[in-house]
Amino acid sequence: MAVERALAWLQDLPLPTQIRESDWMFPTIETVHVFALVLVIGSIVTVDLRLLGFANRDRPFSQLAREMLPWTWTAFLVAAIAGALMFTSKALTYFGNIPFRIKMLCLLLAGMNMLYFHWVGSRNLASWDASKPPPRARFAGAASLLLWTIIVAAGRWIGFTTN
Amino acid sequence: MIEAFCDWLSATPLSLALQAADWFVPSVQTVHILAIAILLISVNVISLKLVGLIRGVQPLATTMARSTPLIWTALLVLLVTGMLLTITEPARELLNWAFRLKMLMVLILAGCMALIQWRLSANPDYWTASAGRKWLARVLGVLVLALGACIVTAGRWIAYV
Repeated sequence: MAVERALAWLQDLPLPTQIRESDWMFPTIETVHVFALVLVIGSIVTVDLRLLGFANRDRPFSQLAREMLPWTWTAFLVAAIAGALMFTSKALTYFGNIPFRIKMLCLLLAGMNMLYFHWVGSRNLASWDASKPPPRARFAGAASLLLWTIIVAAGRWIGFTTN
Repeated sequence: MIEAFCDWLSATPLSLALQAADWFVPSVQTVHILAIAILLISVNVISLKLVGLIRGVQPLATTMARSTPLIWTALLVLLVTGMLLTITEPARELLNWAFRLKMLMVLILAGCMALIQWRLSANPDYWTASAGRKWLARVLGVLVLALGACIVTAGRWIAYV
């Protein structure tokens, strides 16, 4: 199949080969990935917990979101680059791995949920910024919390099913 | 002696039951990682404010007061999940130097956070009250940032060393 041929070509490029064959490169890239992803998830979950009323209840939502957003995007960029490097080292294995596919699907859904929050969930923000968010905003918070939990779990399962 | 303890612990009925469940370790690790995420983002925001690299709209004492429940709840979850992982695979953790280093760094980090918080709760301007304290705040902030990164690194390398 064309996809398999492309992935086989990808993982045989010099850098992916080097990552696969080195003793220290994969764990090092993985460490960067983990460090970045805990900051991605920490910043997102902090906002989700505010939406759901579990933490920072008395803090204006927009203020908290503004403080967290730079962490989310900077760390996401780093996590995505490190993740892509890990993927290229064993592209065929990951492509066929079910937890990997679940993780990618949930990342896509989490992105769509962000768009939902941006366009629908955060409507009339000024009216609830300092108080309890309306159901549509809490829904986005709950969906985000669930999706990121699945993303972490699926990520952990990749490690237990590909070695 | 630690080897004997690991042998004993891994042969206890609880450890044997947890070892038999394939889903247990990755599930507990997932909760562990989520708790690290909540802990580290709170700790990093506070550290960067201490260092003076970010100002934010609320003063440090307010950020600290709002983050305190998150930080200590996350640490408690980390302690419980970490102990469950250790009971399941005692030799993987207790005989591992990356694990020992991680525990040492966790203790120092928790001590630093308790110190920062204790001083702030008595006086919201404590860390900016004098040139000496500002300097100490910067040192503590950089130390805590570095410890966070090193703890995550040591945690991941438990699997490799």
